[in-house]
Amino acid sequence: MSTTHHADYDPIEFELFKNGIHAIADEMAVTICRTTYSGVLRDNMDFSTAIADADGLMVAQGLTLPGHLGSIPAALESVIRHYGDEMQPEDIYIMNDPFDGGMHLPDIFLFKPMFAQGERIGFGATICHHADVGGRVPGSNASDSTEIYQEGLRIPPLKLFEAGVRNHTLWSLIKTNVRIPVQVFGDMRAQLSACHLAETQFQSLLDSYGANKVRMYMRELIDYAERATRAAVADLPDGEFSFEDWIDDDGIDVGKPIRLYVTIRKQGDSMSVDWTGSSDQVKGAINSTLSFTKAHSHAAIRSVLPSTIPANEGLFRAIDVVAPEGTITNMVLPGACAARGLTGFRMGDCMFGALAMMLPDQVGAASDGGNTGVSIGGYDDERKPYIYVDFACGTWGGRPWADGLQGNSNMFANMASQSVEVIESEQPLEILAYEFETDRAGPGEYRGGAPYRREYRFLEKEAVLQVRSDRSDIRPYGLYGGWPGRPSSNALNPDSDSAEVLPSKFNITIQSGDVFSHTLAGGGGYGDPLKRDPAAVLRDVRNDYVSAEAAADDYGVVVDTDSWSINEAATIALRSALALQNGAAEKIAWREPGEEPDAESADASTDGSLDSEGARA
Amino acid sequence: MTTFRIGADIGGTFTDIVFLGPDGTLHTKKVPSTVDDYARGILQGVTSVLEAEAIPASQVSEIMHGTTVASNAILEGKGARAGLITTRGFRDVLEIRNLRMPRLYDLHWEKPPPLVDRYLRHTVNERINNLGEIKTALDEKEVRSVVKNLLAENVEVIAVCLLNAYTNPVHERMIKRVIEEMAPGIPHCISYDVLPEIKEYERTSTTVINAYVMPIVAQYLQSLRAALDTGGVDGPLMLMQSNGGMMSAALAAQKPANIIESGPAGGVVGAQSLARKLDLEDIITFDMGGTTAKASLIERGEVTRSQEYQVGGGIMIGSRLLTGSGYMLKVPAIDLAEVGAGGGSIIWIDGGGGLQVGPQSAGASPGPVCYDAGGESPTVTDANLILGYLNATSLVGGELKLNADKARDAFERDIAKPMNLSVERAAYGTHQLAAANMIRAIRAVSSERGRDPRKYALFAFGGNGPLFATGMAQSLGMKRVVVPPSPGLFSSFGLLYADTEHHFSRSLIATLSEVEPDRLASVWSELESQARDQLKAEGFPEERIDISRAANMHYKGQIFELTTPAPDGEINQQFCADLQERFGQEHETTYGHRAGPDEPVELVSAMVIARGIPLHPRVPDRLMLKGAGEGKSNSTRKAYFGPDHGWLDTAVVRRTDLSTPTDGPLIVEEYDATCLVPPGARAALDDNNNILIDL
Repeated sequence: MSTTHHADYDPIEFELFKNGIHAIADEMAVTICRTTYSGVLRDNMDFSTAIADADGLMVAQGLTLPGHLGSIPAALESVIRHYGDEMQPEDIYIMNDPFDGGMHLPDIFLFKPMFAQGERIGFGATICHHADVGGRVPGSNASDSTEIYQEGLRIPPLKLFEAGVRNHTLWSLIKTNVRIPVQVFGDMRAQLSACHLAETQFQSLLDSYGANKVRMYMRELIDYAERATRAAVADLPDGEFSFEDWIDDDGIDVGKPIRLYVTIRKQGDSMSVDWTGSSDQVKGAINSTLSFTKAHSHAAIRSVLPSTIPANEGLFRAIDVVAPEGTITNMVLPGACAARGLTGFRMGDCMFGALAMMLPDQVGAASDGGNTGVSIGGYDDERKPYIYVDFACGTWGGRPWADGLQGNSNMFANMASQSVEVIESEQPLEILAYEFETDRAGPGEYRGGAPYRREYRFLEKEAVLQVRSDRSDIRPYGLYGGWPGRPSSNALNPDSDSAEVLPSKFNITIQSGDVFSHTLAGGGGYGDPLKRDPAAVLRDVRNDYVSAEAAADDYGVVVDTDSWSINEAATIALRSALALQNGAAEKIAWREPGEEPDAESADASTDGSLDSEGARA
Repeated sequence: MTTFRIGADIGGTFTDIVFLGPDGTLHTKKVPSTVDDYARGILQGVTSVLEAEAIPASQVSEIMHGTTVASNAILEGKGARAGLITTRGFRDVLEIRNLRMPRLYDLHWEKPPPLVDRYLRHTVNERINNLGEIKTALDEKEVRSVVKNLLAENVEVIAVCLLNAYTNPVHERMIKRVIEEMAPGIPHCISYDVLPEIKEYERTSTTVINAYVMPIVAQYLQSLRAALDTGGVDGPLMLMQSNGGMMSAALAAQKPANIIESGPAGGVVGAQSLARKLDLEDIITFDMGGTTAKASLIERGEVTRSQEYQVGGGIMIGSRLLTGSGYMLKVPAIDLAEVGAGGGSIIWIDGGGGLQVGPQSAGASPGPVCYDAGGESPTVTDANLILGYLNATSLVGGELKLNADKARDAFERDIAKPMNLSVERAAYGTHQLAAANMIRAIRAVSSERGRDPRKYALFAFGGNGPLFATGMAQSLGMKRVVVPPSPGLFSSFGLLYADTEHHFSRSLIATLSEVEPDRLASVWSELESQARDQLKAEGFPEERIDISRAANMHYKGQIFELTTPAPDGEINQQFCADLQERFGQEHETTYGHRAGPDEPVELVSAMVIARGIPLHPRVPDRLMLKGAGEGKSNSTRKAYFGPDHGWLDTAVVRRTDLSTPTDGPLIVEEYDATCLVPPGARAALDDNNNILIDL
């Protein structure tokens, strides 16, 4: 980081430049969002845009999915390594290979190098999650693939356009290897539009400032972000803060929990995130690339820093991320990674756990654990294929100052739900319920968010139902006396004679009339539930988030449901009795007071020998 | 007989009243808003003009009104205690919303609380499918018990929104009938009447908002009517809708969801009319007040509208992508991009040493440092005063004195010193940066939608708009700026231009290349007759009803729709082909590309826009401003125009002085606004009393 400015630096001009370059990155994002075809892009906003400098260092990022934070530098580094000086105006580069700078195969990058007086000055960069890139299953997102080779088309860094001329060979190859080329090419057109827009708008920056100043201010913008990050980091407590969390299993080795372990080290104005101690890479397709691990590390830290800090190379410089090769946090060939989103969510939970050890007043308990993926696919009577993909998430853990959000996307997804009426008008499905469940949130002084249940009735003849969920064995942790959230659940034909409980990850064939029901895990609680304001408990009972029974059992609050009032004397008595019975509150809770560890996994996760006790400055 | 028309616009601090006589005489009055009962303030303002100008109350032919009463009720959570009846399994559609939050990385985010608490959301066992077929019939006994329970909870209004009701209203109508039988006095509304369109969250939210503000709006309109009657003003009361058209007070009481964004619409509609008179087809309006700045686009003489927006969504870059900040309302509204930049925006330095403008605002109290009313933090207005753009002694006709020394000291201490800049450089930087933020609002309605701002004229109003407009136009490469008469009161003045107008829409979901034209024809003709009935009820005979069609479409699979006008005449194969082509053209204009002819285009909803044609032109061409004090002329003062120009002796003139075209630098001082004409621009007055600035 440079602490002195260039001689031509003008602080006002710099601010205007900063405003201008961020406007470009944001406008690129608007362009993609509004012209996209695929539901993954439109509802999950699973895309990002950025402007990078000539060396591929990110200068400005547009509105983006947190999981993509910093994905672009790794990919650009690879493109520059492959093509370096041979790049020319009107080239467009494409790639998706996770083993050469990519994230997972559906994430296709498109880059356009930009030039000033014949010299490369920057890149317009886009990444979009595409609806299909071939491979074993529609959507290319199977969690039960075991090698990258099963997952779809691997595109190393290649030229999609060379000096403005389209590469027909590559175009045709892509077309014949994806299931729905109309959508894929529709979305690639959106990416191309964004790249062209970047170039046009960047030209107007060049016109007003000149190439030299543009170069200088891009460097200054990176330095500025590093300075601002370090200034904010310096205000955080020094020390070493560790946390572990678990994924139920990878769906292949069923019942074998997978460990994520992180250590945040903070000294002065520098900070590092170390994933040493995390599980070896697994067979199932939930392995993460280093870039994806970095994205989740940086995103979590960003949420405790001032929001005005721009996301660019300066932020990455100030926060170092280490992940050992061959682990689930930094996979090597032939690791499969299509469904690594799950691992990203758990890394997020881990990061927030460690940050809660560092900043007990600023970070809350665990969320529902990220989204559940449901896909239902088959053929109708006329052999026309249909595929329905739905993602569900929606509860946050209790926070030191307020209850967890409910009916709100996980921070690392920030997806939108699909309209039930639109689903019913397009798919052979009837949605029977989309509603909060009672008594599933983790109790606490500030309780976790209430999870919802989503229920689907299948109306065609036969289909394959694939579900990737988690948090059915290892529950969202509670913090500082709060209890864990209640686990997620899957069921086939509930409320019928043939009701069947299903595991967290499965692949089954369903028939016409079958009903699949999924309930998310509840958010973890924060603080001792016996300290919760009785008026808040009464309000929860009135609104059916908590039953009157649970109000007494979990919160020690006795509610009279005829008069909607609190029996204060009975509440005081019950609370003191429960306080004795529950014993000392745990800093990190995986189980409720008095609950016996039953599963192997729960044992493993609360083993006192592990460094989950937090701060040891 | 001489008649006057009144425009009345309620803002957070001031209520603006404008009287327009048939000869173009304008009388204006600014009175403090009376928050406990807005009607009182309006009557005070109206009465004081009537008395001062000796106009008999009976000569008032019409009152055109823009109000924030409905949006305030939502923002402040002061609407009615509402109950909601919905389909079993979907009790929480209103609260789950669409999951997305508007801010990334924000652990402190709180969702806006649902307008109906969960215990007042009741479900009934019924099911209608997407084709409108009844799968589970609704049992009237269950409805009675649910309505009884809600009444026992003392709800003041009931909203009904059942799943898939957009395809078949039979169950909602049964519930409506039961409510009317069991509780004849309770206001209520069903989603099919409010918004017969697909997407349960959007429809539920819109229906609930309508119900939530229904009692408060009805009561307000009643009390306003009563107040006007007391004052002897018995002309009809018309309300500005969010879409820029007027509707009668009686109708507004039933469909208050249509008047939520009534406030900012007046200025845009006024700008549209004035621009048409100037033969300016394409303009961008720019309205800047004390806390926010708003831009909107007028293309080929028509305002642009969005089909949905968030009430109380706050202001943020990119809010068009990250929804969820406010309350979803799916009714057509003038498309406004808003940024949190105004005269009161606070200037500060962030942790990285960067200069920031807003979004915090000093508001009206304590206000900018120069108001000398306790404000400590430098603001945009302080910068404008330091730069010599504002007159320390003549603001609001001299009613407000400014303390320039105090403003300079605060700037020196908080901004200039830490950044190692001279005070004027820091102040000029602030002015530029505020302009850069507002330019993003202009880009949001133009370049982000494929429109090149250089082809548009900038139409500036609001208390601060004319101060920034020319500089912004210069940096955007725009060629002309228009500043209308009385720019600070323009939102109320603009109300006088609006026509009665209603929008109706229905979900269709049809692929244009495959649909039976008859199906489209029946939907459109139903909408058209609905529209005619509405206008006839408001007193428009057949020959003064103008009906046009529009369609919301996208390529199958896209989420966002584009709205384009639909052809008149018979609905047949050719109609469908024309519509498809219009959509392709619009897609190309907006996004720079269109798909091949084989790509299916989906018609998502059909719309009808019905306008009541007025008997006479609404506003005479030539306006004569009375009552708003004139500034002094023929003085000069030093003003700073950046490092290139430095401090320049700048003429301070009145609007009327510009009948001779004059080169900048110039400052035009008026009662309600100050207009800045920087070096390199030339200002003149046109026949309609507009200041035209050429760049």
